[in-house]
Amino acid sequence: MKLRLCLCLATISVVLAGAAPLQPARRPHYGGTLRVEIGPTVQSLDPAVVAAGREEADAKAELDALLYQQRSEDGTFVGTAGSGPFRVASWELGRRATFAANQDYREGRPFVDSIEIQMGRPAHDRVVDLELNKTDFAQIPAEQARQATDRGVRISTSQPNELLALVFLGSRSGKESPRMREAIGRCIDRAAIVNFILQKEGEAARGLLPQWSSGTAFLFPSETDVRTAKEIWSQISPSPKLVLGYDSADTLEQSVAERIVVNAKEAGISLVSRAIPASGEASLGQVQGETRGVTHVDARLVRLRMPSPLPRIALTAFIHRLEPIAGTVESPVPQSASPEDVYYCERSIMNSGLVVPIVWMPQVYGLSARVRDWKQPAAGESWPLADVWLDSTDSR
Amino acid sequence: MRLLPRLFLRHAFIFAWLLAFAAASSEGQATAQFPPDWTNALGSLADKIAAVTKRGEGLSLEAKNISSLSAADVDSLRQLLLTDLSRRNRRVVTESSADAALQVTFSESADGYVWIAQILGGDQENVVMVSVAAPNQKASTTEAPLTLHRKLIWEQDMKILDFGILGEGMAGGSSMLIVLGSDKLSFYGSQDKSWKLARTVDLAHGGTAQRDLRGRLDLKAGKAELPGAECGGDFQHPETVTCSSITTTADRETPRQPIGIQARSVEDYAVLAGACGDDSLMLASGAGDWTVPDFIQGYDGRNLSAATQQIQVPGPVLELLRNDDGKSARVVSRNLKTGVYEASIVSVSCDD
Repeated sequence: MKLRLCLCLATISVVLAGAAPLQPARRPHYGGTLRVEIGPTVQSLDPAVVAAGREEADAKAELDALLYQQRSEDGTFVGTAGSGPFRVASWELGRRATFAANQDYREGRPFVDSIEIQMGRPAHDRVVDLELNKTDFAQIPAEQARQATDRGVRISTSQPNELLALVFLGSRSGKESPRMREAIGRCIDRAAIVNFILQKEGEAARGLLPQWSSGTAFLFPSETDVRTAKEIWSQISPSPKLVLGYDSADTLEQSVAERIVVNAKEAGISLVSRAIPASGEASLGQVQGETRGVTHVDARLVRLRMPSPLPRIALTAFIHRLEPIAGTVESPVPQSASPEDVYYCERSIMNSGLVVPIVWMPQVYGLSARVRDWKQPAAGESWPLADVWLDSTDSR
Repeated sequence: MRLLPRLFLRHAFIFAWLLAFAAASSEGQATAQFPPDWTNALGSLADKIAAVTKRGEGLSLEAKNISSLSAADVDSLRQLLLTDLSRRNRRVVTESSADAALQVTFSESADGYVWIAQILGGDQENVVMVSVAAPNQKASTTEAPLTLHRKLIWEQDMKILDFGILGEGMAGGSSMLIVLGSDKLSFYGSQDKSWKLARTVDLAHGGTAQRDLRGRLDLKAGKAELPGAECGGDFQHPETVTCSSITTTADRETPRQPIGIQARSVEDYAVLAGACGDDSLMLASGAGDWTVPDFIQGYDGRNLSAATQQIQVPGPVLELLRNDDGKSARVVSRNLKTGVYEASIVSVSCDD
C-alpha cells in the first residue's frame, strides 16, 4: 500500500511539473500593501470630532473601525486608537494616510502589512484607478457600477441597504398637508429613477425596509399613479408652491430631486428643487443657505443606511433618525422583533405620508484582481480589510 | 330483503373508514416532511385568519411564493392550510362564490420565513402573519460509482483547528472525541449516541495571535501542537493531559506543496488508500476563497481525473487531512449560514 501511495505522489509531482500556469492558491498569506481610495477628505480620525458631512462621516466610521477594537452601543468607537487591527503609521491631513498592521491584535494580525489610503478621490477617478490597477479597493457610487463593470472593473455589490427617501419637514402642517403629501408620493416614477438614474443598480422602494430584510415590503404599493395625484392636487385650494431640498454635495440626490420635479409637473404639482448645505439636519423647514442666508424647503431627500439587516433594529434606527427631520416626537418603535409588530409600526409611519420611500441602493465596491477573501459587509458591518489578503504583493 | 340495508350499512362503513384513512394519511404525508414549528406556525396563521373572518365564511384562497421555498413545499403548505382552515370552520370556495378573498404569500426576511395572509372583504383589508425559522442548508451527496459521504461529527462557534476520534468501533470500549480549538483542547466521551464534555484544557499560548492559526493532533502519540503551545498525555484519559506555553510562535507545520488539478492549484488535499481495491484516491476541496460555499471531490490517484461527484459543503473547507486509517479524511469547515465551525469525516464507498 505504501508503494502505491508513493507512486501516486510521484504521479502528482509529474502532473504538477508539467502543468500549465495555475490559478492562484487559496490559502491566505501575509504581506503587501493594500491601496485604498476614498472620496471624501477625512479631517480627523478622532471619534470625538464630528465630521462635516454625510460622506465624510461614513468614510471616517470605516477608517475608525480599522483602528479601534470596540464600539459602544450607539455605534461610536471607544478605547484607544491602534487597539483595532491597524494603527496609524502616517497621516497627511486631508490627503493620505498609512495604516500598519497591528501585530498584537486580539483576533490575529491582519494579512496585509499596511493600508495606504488616498483621500479626496472623485468617483470617476476611483473607477479609472481601479481600471488601471492603480488601487486595490474603492467604493463606487451605485449609479456608476454598471459602467465600471463594462470597463472590466471587478465589482462587489451588497444587497440594497441604503434608502433614499423624501421626507416632509415638520414646519408645514395644516388641513391639506396629508393630501399634498399623498399627491407627491403618488406621482413619483420610481422605476424610471432606478432604470435611468441608478442604471438599474437598485430597486424601487415600497416601504421603510427592503423586501429582503422585512419580507413584507410587497404589501406596500410603489406604482406611479399620476391620475390620482392630479385629482388630489386639483382639490387643494389654494394650490401651494413646494420646495424640495437636496444635499448640495450629492450629485445623485440632485438628479433624483430634478426627476421628482419633472414627475410632479406631469401631475400639475408646483414643486421646485433646491440645493441645501451638506452639513447638519434640516429641521423646521429652515436651512441655512450657502449664499442667501436662509433657504426654505418643505421636503428634502434623505439617505438612510441600514445599521443592521434585522428589520426591527433597522426600523428603530430610521425612526430615531427621522424624528428631528420630520418634526415627529416619540414615534412608536416596534415593540418586538415579530414581523407583525415591525410591519404595523412601519405601516403607521407610511400612513402619515411624512416619509416617501423612493429607491433602495446597494453598496458597491471595486476590487483589484489580487484582493482575495473579500466578503461583502452586511448592513451595519465595516469594511473587513483585516481579513483580506493579497494574492501578489507586487502591485504592478 | 333484510340483507340489503345491512349490506348497504357495511359498505357505507367501509367507504367512510377508507375516506377517513385516506384523509388522515394524506395529511400525514403533508405534515411529515415539515419541521414541527412549520406546522405550528401554519396553525397560528389559520388561527389569525379565523380571528378576522366569520365562522362558516367562504374564502377564495390564492397562494403565492416569493421565498426560497420550493414549489412542492408551498403546495404541501397550501394543502395543510386548507385542512387547518376547515378545522376552524372556514370554507375555501371558488372566487365567484367567496365572501372574502384570502391571499397567502410565502415570503422571506433576514430572520427567516414570513407567511402572510391578506384578507380582503368589502372595503376592509386585514393583514396577519407568522414567522418561521428557515432551516440550515444541508450538505447533499450525489450518486457516482465511487461515492463520498460526509458525516458531521461536531460543530462549535469557536474555531476548530483539528479533531480526532479515539477508540471508535472498539468492542466494549467507549470512544473519545478530541477537538483542538484556538484556545482550548476539549475531550468529549460518547454517551447515548452523543458527545458529552469530559474535560477541557486551556491553551495558554504565548506570543501574538495568528489570524490563520493552525494546529495538529497526533492521537497515537498523544500530542497536540500549535504555535505557542503544546499538549501531551494519554488522550484516552483526559485527566492526564497537560498543556504548556512554548516560545516558538511560528507555524511548525511544513507548508504543503500545492498540486495541480484541472488547471488550479490545490493546497488542501488528502490521499486515501483505494477504497474499492484498486488505486488511491485523492480528495481535494474547491477553488473558491474562504467566503463562498465549497465542495470536496475525489480524484483518481494516477491521472487526477475526477473519480467521484462533488459533495457540497456549506462553507469553505479550512482543513482536509488524511485520517490514520488511511480510508477517510477529517474535514474542518465553516458554515457560512450559521457561522459555526464544523468537524466532519469524509469517507468513500463503492457502489457495486
